Formats: sequence, C-alpha cells, structure tokens
Amino acid sequence: MDKDSRYDTWFRLDNSGKIFPEVSNHRETNVFRVAITLTEKIDEEILQLAVDGILSRYPMFKVKLKKGLFWSYFDYNSKPFNVEELKHYVCGEIHPRKNNGYLFRVMYRNTDIIIEMFHSLADGAGVVMLLKAIVYEYLNLLGKDVKPDNLVPTKNQRPSMEEYEDANSKFYDRKNRKHIPEKRAYRIKGTALSEDLTGLISGVMSTKAMINLARENGLTMTEYLTALMMYTIYVTQIQYRGSVSSNQSPVKIFVPVNLRKHFPSNTLRNFSNFVKTNMVMTEDDITFEYLKDLVKKQFEEGMTKSELIRKMSENVAFEKNVLLKFTPYFLKKYALKIGYNMLGMKLNTMSLTNIGKVDFPESMQPFIKDVTAAVYSGKFNTLNCSIISYKDKLKITFTRSIVETTIEREFFRHFTDLGIDVEIESNYVEEY
Amino acid sequence: MKYCDKCNIKINTHNSYCPLCQQTLSGETSLDHIEKYPEYISPTRKVYPITKKIILFVTIVSIIVLLVVNLATYKENPVMWSLIPIGSIAYFWVLVTLGVLSRHNIAFRFATLTTLLIGLLILIDFRSNGGGWSYNYVMPLLLTLCNFSVSVIILVKRMDYRDYIVYLLMIVIFSIVPLILYALNIVDEPWPALVSFGLAIFILLFIIFFFPKSIKDEIKKRFHA
Repeated sequence: MDKDSRYDTWFRLDNSGKIFPEVSNHRETNVFRVAITLTEKIDEEILQLAVDGILSRYPMFKVKLKKGLFWSYFDYNSKPFNVEELKHYVCGEIHPRKNNGYLFRVMYRNTDIIIEMFHSLADGAGVVMLLKAIVYEYLNLLGKDVKPDNLVPTKNQRPSMEEYEDANSKFYDRKNRKHIPEKRAYRIKGTALSEDLTGLISGVMSTKAMINLARENGLTMTEYLTALMMYTIYVTQIQYRGSVSSNQSPVKIFVPVNLRKHFPSNTLRNFSNFVKTNMVMTEDDITFEYLKDLVKKQFEEGMTKSELIRKMSENVAFEKNVLLKFTPYFLKKYALKIGYNMLGMKLNTMSLTNIGKVDFPESMQPFIKDVTAAVYSGKFNTLNCSIISYKDKLKITFTRSIVETTIEREFFRHFTDLGIDVEIESNYVEEY
Repeated sequence: MKYCDKCNIKINTHNSYCPLCQQTLSGETSLDHIEKYPEYISPTRKVYPITKKIILFVTIVSIIVLLVVNLATYKENPVMWSLIPIGSIAYFWVLVTLGVLSRHNIAFRFATLTTLLIGLLILIDFRSNGGGWSYNYVMPLLLTLCNFSVSVIILVKRMDYRDYIVYLLMIVIFSIVPLILYALNIVDEPWPALVSFGLAIFILLFIIFFFPKSIKDEIKKRFHA
C-alpha cells in the first residue's frame, strides 16, 4: 500500500461483526484462538518482522474500532503492532487500549505461535488464512526453503477487494427472511471458576481412525461428535433428573457452518452461519443411536440452501431496517445489547466449532507439528468445544468457565473405550 | 509421557494428576519438557481506578451536602445558590477524569472541556447577575484559544491528524455562534466575537485548501449509514 491511499483505508463492520463490540466484556469476550506448534523454538524478533510484513499486505487486520454517528467502523491503525509472550488467559478480553487499538493478538511460547482474534474482525477460516500467511513468512525469514504452492497467501500478492466484502449482504433475500422465535436453551451447570479464568483441555486423536468411526455410523465427523456431545450432556447432567424444572429446556448445540463452502465467496471477514440440534431430553431412556439419527436429520434440515439464506437474511434484515439504521449509534448500542441478551446468547447450550482440516504445502510440512483451536467460554455457555485437524492429528479442545470436567472425561472415555488412543493437554486451571 | 490408567489417556506434563479424573498419573515426563500453557500469575491491582473512585466519591458526597444545606435553608434564602459550587465541583471531576486521567485523543478532550467550561461560566454569570461577561468576552475568547491550541497540536503532531480534524471542525463551527449572538443583539461587545469568527474562518479555509481529501474521507467514515 502506498502512503497516500491509507487515508481512505477504512471498512464497514460486516453484518455479524456489528453485534460483537456491543455485547463483549471481560466475561463474554467473543475471542477465539488458533495456534500452531512448530518444530523449533520461536524467535520473537523474526516473528515480529513476519507479522509486520503480513499486516502491510492485509490492511483489513491493521485497523482499530471507531465510533461513527450511525455505526462503528474499522479505521486504519497507524500504531505499531507488537507480538507478545503467551499469558495464562485463554481467549481473554482484547482490550483495545492495552493492545494499541488492535483487535487481535499474536503470541508465542516455546515452539508455539498463537493468534487470538476478536470475532468482529474475522471468523475461523479468516484466522486460519492469517496464521498460514504469518507462518509462511516466518519460515521464509528464517531462510527455510518453503514454497506457497497456492495454499498459502503471501505478502507479495496484491490484496483483492473480494477479501473485504461483506458476503452476508450479498446473498440477502428480502423474501426469505422470516424470523422464527426460539426457546431458551439448557445451560450446563457447574461451579464457576474465579477471576475470568478459562480451563482448557484438549485431546489429540488419529484423524483417520475418527473418520472411519464416523463413516461406520454413516455420519460425517461433525455429526458424530455433535451426537456424542448431546449424549454426554444427557448422561452427565440430565438423565434420571427429568422432573427438575431447569432440565425442561432443550439441549441445543450450536454448530457454525463455513458458508464459503456453500456460496461462492473468498472473503476474509465473517461469513459463517450455523446449524443447531434441538431436543428436550427429559426421557430416561434416550440412546446414542437415537441421537445419531436425530442429529443427522436436524443437520440436513438446517443445511439446505434456502434455510441458510433465511438465517443470513434474518440477520441482515435488522441492519436494513430504516428506523434502526438512522438511529444514532449511542442509542443503537443499547438496542443491540438488549436484543442480544434477550435472544442471542441464551439460545445455545454450547457451541461446537469444526474448523476442519488445515492444509500446508509440502515444503512447509516438515516444520509444523500440530495446530490447536479454542473459543472463549462465558457465563451462559460454560463449556465450548472446537475441533481442528492437521495431517493425522485431530485435536478436540474444550474450554470451560466451570471447575467440573465430567463432560470432557465422559467424552474422551467414549473413544478410549472404543480403542482409539487419546493424548490429553491441559492448562491445569484448577491449580489456581 | 505420563499415563492415567483410569481414563486410559496419555499426557505430557509435570503435574502429578489427571486433568479429567484427578487421579494420580503413572510414568515419567522427560525433564526438558516445557508445559504447553504457562502458569497463572495473579495481576496486581493498579492505583489508577482507585484514584478515580475516591475522586468520584468525594464529588458525589459534596454535591449531596451542598444540595441538602441549600434546601434546608431555602425558606430563609430562596435562591438556588448551590448550583454554582455544584457546577464547579462537577467540572473539576470532569477535568480530572477526562483531562488528566483519560487517554482520549487530545482534541476531543480540549473540545469537551472548553464546551463544558463555557456552559459553567454562563451559569455562574446568570446566577450572579454578572451582566453577560461570560458570553460577551469569555466564550469567544475561550473558543479562540481552543481553536488555536488544537490547530497547533495538529500541526506539531502531524502523524495522525485525521483523528483530530473532526473535533477541530466541531469547534470551528461552534466559534461562529458568538457572531450569531451578536447579530441577534444578545451580545453587545463585537470585537471578541469577530476575533473568534475570523480565526475559525481562517482555519476552515486552511483545512479545505490543504486537506480536502482527508476531511471528506473523515466525514464519509463517521456518517456512513
């Protein structure tokens, strides 16, 4: 980017990004993380150079959040970006003032590079792209012989406008935007951890074994894991307690869908929607087999094109509303906040994000050991789960804001009982 | 690599128990293994929020005391005299929190503090029947001073002037108010109003001539719907 053009470097927030700045705080941070483990110890200075190089190629990330009269927007950020050492916090609040205004962090520890991103700026797929670019640049600066092979964006490419587009409004259909009211979801109970701490437990398994397991059941991996998650929640929290009043709410697993796979777009910004499972689990004899069929059916219904467009348009409709559009920002802020607290957060029991397979070019693979993904967990969604895989390592990461680890234990024991090896990583939050 | 025989899982850690079932792990981890996640270090509390709290507390308590005394003696002396000290105390609070402790951009702080100060002085003027010294002299001269200092800051801190320019524009437009008041015969001393108006027009022309694109972009950004 030449120096003059940065005066007009600014971006509107995309449709899903508009809500997050208003509803985020130190408890509900709306931050997620993607990390990568390399084979050698990270050199801080070279990482800093790599990030600086990539940021000049991706002006979309070199921004700060500013308030306008009607909407907030991303404005060019002239302050320097600093990489930092990893702290204990998992997906902690990204405080603009402590972070030079940036809405993401790049951290390092031993052999790991960690990116934490505020959800307003991008979604999982966008961050994986950014991480790939940074790792490529880092290895390149170390003098390793790596080639991008069209799998990794490099800093020499020109930015294309397509990367910045708000794809949600592109596929907006005003005839198909009906709002369907939902019931409040079941909340996973437990003893809250103190001081906004987040517990993290991940299990590493063989991707091949897991794909085979899902296929034997005639399901995709996400479907299998979602069904298992529902079953685990049922067994550990609800079974034989069907008469308790809080158990009458349906268990709903929120599964984000990467819309780039369903609609033609290459945007780096938010372009995802969701499918949800939904079941009131008060019966005493729900079986895993039954849940597998249920999840498969509910996923098929939720993933039809018209249903995805409906959910997208439902969200876009509120920003197209003329009355809301021309309400000054400081009033609109409260409207969004109230709306979200009534509707958004409490409609899901937990979220289960499958970022999927991360591909690296062959020349980079010898330097990369594995990848990890994690999302924040808050007051209502006390347990969240994210899945990412690289080569034959599938990593399922649970983040929790409660002390209990019963669900994680039962979840992983299901696989060890089937004879699949599981290796656990934990941040041992209960020590503190 | 350590092992939990209850959960059947492997784990690489220096901790002695299984994170899933809290049972003791068997096996050994090599000594050079570095934990993947760092230990928690409790943050030490900073001084700054406490200072803010004390100032806010003292402010509120004194405002309440003033109001109570004023209302208790209202029968003997039916004047709301307490508004002047209350306004001054409130202004002092804003001055400390926004002017000193806050890290907002400097042009915004100048613009807000000047506007509030003008409001306070007009209030004092009215309460004490001062005869209009506040809007005759103080308002135009304060605006001139604010305009002048923000312009100097922008010229000196050339780096990111786009952030300041909107507030400068706000104050510039505000500076035209004394002249309007003069035209409406509320203000009877013309020269301070003319000075403030002259400087405002000069700055406005300067911006339009030398930063036309940045001011246009800044307006587009802030007012997009």
